[in-house]
Amino acid sequence: MKNHRLIPITLIAAAVLAGCSSLPASNSLLDQARSDYNTAQANPQVATLAAGELKQASESLDKANNALSKGEKSDTVDHLAYVAKQQTAIAQETAKQKAAELAVANANAERDKVRLAARTQEADVAQRSAEVSQREAEKSQRQAVAERQVANAALVDAQSARQQTQDAEARSRDLEAQLKDLQAKKTDRGMLITLGDVLFDTNHAQLKSGGLRNLQKLGDFLKRYPQRTVMIEGFTDSTGGNIRNMELSDQRAASVRTAMLDMGIASERITSRGYGESYPVADNKTSAGRQLNRRVEIIISDDGGKIAPR
Amino acid sequence: MNNISSYPWYRVAGAIGCAAVFITGCATNLPPPTEQLAVTKSALDNAVSAGGNEFAAVEMRAAQEKLERANQAVAKEDYLTARRLAEEAQADARLAEKKADSAKAQKAAVAMQDDIRVLREEINRKTK
Repeated sequence: MKNHRLIPITLIAAAVLAGCSSLPASNSLLDQARSDYNTAQANPQVATLAAGELKQASESLDKANNALSKGEKSDTVDHLAYVAKQQTAIAQETAKQKAAELAVANANAERDKVRLAARTQEADVAQRSAEVSQREAEKSQRQAVAERQVANAALVDAQSARQQTQDAEARSRDLEAQLKDLQAKKTDRGMLITLGDVLFDTNHAQLKSGGLRNLQKLGDFLKRYPQRTVMIEGFTDSTGGNIRNMELSDQRAASVRTAMLDMGIASERITSRGYGESYPVADNKTSAGRQLNRRVEIIISDDGGKIAPR
Repeated sequence: MNNISSYPWYRVAGAIGCAAVFITGCATNLPPPTEQLAVTKSALDNAVSAGGNEFAAVEMRAAQEKLERANQAVAKEDYLTARRLAEEAQADARLAEKKADSAKAQKAAVAMQDDIRVLREEINRKTK
């Protein structure tokens, strides 16, 4: 009867052992899954960026561990370990994906910053070049103004020079006209005006009123050209005594000089001298020649006031 | 034959215990894993559209092959094997999808860095 009691207990033990196989000490796939999981867990990126996925892997790994410790069949443990291993890999990939997405987001921000910096720089460059252009424009404008001023000044100079030339020409023409009016002749010593014997009565040194009128023109000329001086020279014909002729010619020249002084010409500008019957200009044998020799000659100096001596 | 009540109580208990061990320990009458198969199929579709074939060919092949074997096991009414294969195929498919996503994101990050580098070079060239 004792033996009968043991039969069911023996059957139960046999069923457990045969039906669910023997207890394996370890499982290589589970070892692999544990190792993978530990690696993932140690990675802070996975722990923070794929926390949910890592938790799932952890739960699967627990199941596999439990199965192993309960002594379940190796294909059960293998299956659970495989799922745990794949879920660990999923956690790893998720973390990589999220990290890359973060990098893209950061890079977007960085790119925006770089673009902004580029635009700022472009704007700065454009402004600087605009300023440079402006300065150059101002500079060239100033140069243009200066050049125009120089050109104007040159024009004014040219006009003034032309004016001076014209003035000088006008003065020269005027002088020529005056000298022509005085019937002056050009000689080596200067312009020569010859006054005939009509100025004086015979043997007298007193100017006649008609002669005085003639001298008025000379006075006007000297007033107009104050830098010029005159030399008044008196001459007679050969009639009469030599000494008397010298005296007469000297007195006549002095008379002319006095008349000029009376007109307001400064005394230092006028010199006078008599030469008597010397330096005849015509033959004293004829009356016409003698008339020509009775004369007063007035030499007008150049602009320097100099007169070459006879 | 005697009525069952004529057997001693421990004999009856022993027989019931034996049956219980067989039923719970080695579970043979599971329902077909219809829901799991649908979830796995969906995960596989997602992996395909994420570009799993391009970026995670090994995982994709494993997932497809396991799903096929799961369907074959269902036909043989081996539901335990079918469920396990379907679960593993789901994990493979999800890994393939994540690998594809991760690869694409990393490509994008590299491309972005390149963009920035080019932009910087251009700026440096302009300033010179």
